[in-house]
Amino acid sequence: MALNFDIRRSEYVTNPVLRYIGYGVIALLLSVVHVVFLRFMQVSSVTPDLLLIFTVFIAIYEGQFTGMIAGFLCGLLFDAISTDVIGTNALAKTFAGFVAGYFYRENQGIQIVGSLNFLLIVALSGFIHNLVYSFFFIKPMQVSFWVFFLQYGLAATLYTTVTALFLMLFVNRRRD
Amino acid sequence: MRGLIEFVVRYRNYITLSTLVVMSFSLMSIGNLSDLGGFRAVIVGSIGWIQSAFAWIPNPVALKSENTALRELNLQLAVEVARSRQAIVENETMRKMMRLPQYTEHKLIAADIVGKTTTEQRNYATINRGKANGVREGMSCINDAGLVGIVIGASENYSVLELLINRDTRVSAKVLRTRVDGVIQWEGENILVLKNVPRSLDVRKYDVIVTSAYSSKYPANIVIGRVSTVEDEPNSLFHRIVVQPSVNFSTLEQVFIVDARPDPERIGLERKVDETSRQKISQ
Repeated sequence: MALNFDIRRSEYVTNPVLRYIGYGVIALLLSVVHVVFLRFMQVSSVTPDLLLIFTVFIAIYEGQFTGMIAGFLCGLLFDAISTDVIGTNALAKTFAGFVAGYFYRENQGIQIVGSLNFLLIVALSGFIHNLVYSFFFIKPMQVSFWVFFLQYGLAATLYTTVTALFLMLFVNRRRD
Repeated sequence: MRGLIEFVVRYRNYITLSTLVVMSFSLMSIGNLSDLGGFRAVIVGSIGWIQSAFAWIPNPVALKSENTALRELNLQLAVEVARSRQAIVENETMRKMMRLPQYTEHKLIAADIVGKTTTEQRNYATINRGKANGVREGMSCINDAGLVGIVIGASENYSVLELLINRDTRVSAKVLRTRVDGVIQWEGENILVLKNVPRSLDVRKYDVIVTSAYSSKYPANIVIGRVSTVEDEPNSLFHRIVVQPSVNFSTLEQVFIVDARPDPERIGLERKVDETSRQKISQ
């Protein structure tokens, strides 16, 4: 029965306050998933960025402004749990939200997320995200920016895009 | 004022982006983990608690890479153990060899075996010392265990040894306990035989065989080996005495060249007498 509810008419979707609370809870859950379970999906030290996918989702569903705020907050959360320098992921995910926000179409969020366009948007946002992140991540290290970006940045973008495929397929099936 | 509000509303996304970027840079400028102190400690502690709660879930990928790393480590440690064992053996050998000069009256030249050759049951070894180091043809070669061979050729930096286990080798030897004389010959593999010892003379198993002062090639009293069997050959007046060489030729690595050559006066005299004897017999 639970699988047959209309996601678009749920109170968590129609009520903005509940929706934003829902985003917060999901972000926290994704953080826990990242910390606990993503080690099982690790391939050569590269893991998919679930909070980036979530940021893109919010940006497409809510618009550029909310996407940037969500990106910033998700980035802060990510910095906290990944023990990274605070602000690095916040900056990168803010840009990701900004880029993804350009693809916002009013009342067409679910359609976009359920289509192949979503993967392209995730790939583009991921590319920008990892470009910014790599730049600031390697700044204090004796590592070549391009080597690091090509080795990890592109791999992480690809892996995140592949992971976003599952969300796309899920939403696609719900939409139908 | 209205214009300002319109500007903000119109460009709110860019203004927000700029604000968030500035905030991010500000946070980054705060610096590393320790600057955020308690807040970060709480987060790290919470993450650790969550991770430990789920630590029971096995990770096959991590196990595989850990297994690979452990195998590599195991291999490295095995190599280290082999090196350590080799170092212990070398150390023991060197200690024994360091004591060796105290027991000989001659100057010794230390050398390493750098090659071994076998040609039709003639075993030779090449050492890394030559004429430049004072090595000359005819000098004897020993190690801590006993007699190794004799130098039969020397270049500037290398020399070739004719080993005791060589078909051409003949060494005047004697039984240390009873002073019985004989001649040592190699009979293949690791077997030396003390020849020309009459059956009436006292030779027993485990007797030590040393070089004899009768030898014009080797210094006297260098250990050759121990008697392993004494048999009476049928239809013969002599013992068949098998001697186990004291030197392990298969693991030979370091040797000493005894800086003593046969006395030319003695050799000359012996040759002269030998020739005179032959002439008398022929007449």
